[in-house]
Amino acid sequence: MTRPSRIPAPGLGRITAPTALGAAVLLLWDLANTRHWVSDLILPRPLDVAAATRDLFASGLVWGHLRATLYETLAGFGLAAALGVGTALAAGASAVVRRMVYPYAVTLQVLPMLSVAPILISAFGFGATAKIVIAALVAFFPVFVNTLTGMLDPDADAEELFRSLRAGRRRTFTGLLLPTAAPMIFAGLRIGLTLALAGAVVAEIVSAQEGLGFLVQRYSSQLNQDDAFAVVAVVTGMGLLLYGAVGCADRVIVFWRHAGRLPAGSRARERRVRRRLAAADRSTS
Amino acid sequence: MRLRGVGKRFDGGVEAMRDLDLSVAPGEFVSIVGASGCGKSTLLRVIAGLVPGSEGTVEVHGEPVTGPREDVGLMFQRPALLPWKTSLENVLLPIRVRRRITHDDVREAMRLLTLFDLEGFEHGFPSQLSGGMRQRVALARLMMTGAGVRLLDEPFGAVDELTRETLNLHLLRVHERTASATVLVTHTISEAVLMSDRVIVMTSRPGTVAAEVPIPLERPRSPEMAYSQRFQELALTVRRALGPSGSEGGRPS
Repeated sequence: MTRPSRIPAPGLGRITAPTALGAAVLLLWDLANTRHWVSDLILPRPLDVAAATRDLFASGLVWGHLRATLYETLAGFGLAAALGVGTALAAGASAVVRRMVYPYAVTLQVLPMLSVAPILISAFGFGATAKIVIAALVAFFPVFVNTLTGMLDPDADAEELFRSLRAGRRRTFTGLLLPTAAPMIFAGLRIGLTLALAGAVVAEIVSAQEGLGFLVQRYSSQLNQDDAFAVVAVVTGMGLLLYGAVGCADRVIVFWRHAGRLPAGSRARERRVRRRLAAADRSTS
Repeated sequence: MRLRGVGKRFDGGVEAMRDLDLSVAPGEFVSIVGASGCGKSTLLRVIAGLVPGSEGTVEVHGEPVTGPREDVGLMFQRPALLPWKTSLENVLLPIRVRRRITHDDVREAMRLLTLFDLEGFEHGFPSQLSGGMRQRVALARLMMTGAGVRLLDEPFGAVDELTRETLNLHLLRVHERTASATVLVTHTISEAVLMSDRVIVMTSRPGTVAAEVPIPLERPRSPEMAYSQRFQELALTVRRALGPSGSEGGRPS
């Protein structure tokens, strides 16, 4: 979980600092090309990559591939999120389930996915299914482990409070354990989504007829580095957008971890209580 | 509320308390003082039915305690508020766990929050409140349970002196109005004397009752009473009962 730094860096703001670093790296990269430190065939100029990226969109060529990769990523991520959160919730609620599942979750994580990719592709065919399965397998573990960690770490006093109020298992789960785990669940989802994208792209590189991974593979085998780099830029942009989307959902759902969102939540709740009480007054009078 | 010969030994063999007798009548305020680790907190948890005792019996309203009860409310040193709920929602939690919240429940919760000087903060989230305010929300939540027996485990131990005095006044005000039996665990002697009808002094490991000091000061109590000679004498009696080496609870160190 990222928290805003409490000590603002003097002079360098939130935008200036990363921009400065980015510009420096691009400059060095460009120099590496123009001064022939690195061959054109390995490292194209940044501006050429930018132009190639623009052309990819202008020609419309990239859209179909982008859609394919996005679909595989989201489907794989959805599968991993449902299975990861679901399994972790069950494992958090029951020690038996936890002991049963945990070793296999770890095994799955240790297993090098690239080595099973060909097997999965031969099992599920060359279409999207194999990529979805691979993306889901890669994304599962972080979602599972984060959710489980969140489930197993409730506030001891709050737990005792729920017990003293004689809250049942279900009430304790929905009223305490789930909200307590929510920030960790989102941390897991963030990592999971980026890994799902990586999984889908890698699976496309191994074997595919479409998708951004397939496109990188094709361009780079043609030694067309401008376009290969452009596709990588597209994948990166997609990853950032997806990461940002989970971040937005996190701010809305786990609002209490974001100080800036509390006043709005306060006002909304105040309006709701006032409206209900007013309605009750009207119905009694 | 009545305890007879209550003892508690943990699985590891540590004996937290032994042969403890205590009874608290409705409307009575009893404080338990003793050094850290004398089993005060364990005692409260046994009364609350959160931890089973190893020996003896605990009765509330004439019934043996076998688990948490609706007529026993508990408050901790930390407020233990849910950060995703507003003050009002936190106060309503005891009701929410049991049944659907009615408009009257909401009005009662608002009234309690006003009583504890939290007007205008009903819809604030815990992280927007100060430490003392959070503790007052927790106090309002305890009142909302409507429990006839209130157990407070060093509820104001983590706040500064002035805030603590205000919080104690709030607690006194509420107690003097209701017929609840209140048990306060504290390690501040003056706090115990100011609040209570009786102060129980506990020795440590295994914790048991070393002395019982009745506090015949008139009610309503006020903080100024703490400066009277009578008060000082009572506080000294309690202090002496705690034994010579204070931090070890009477055990020679």
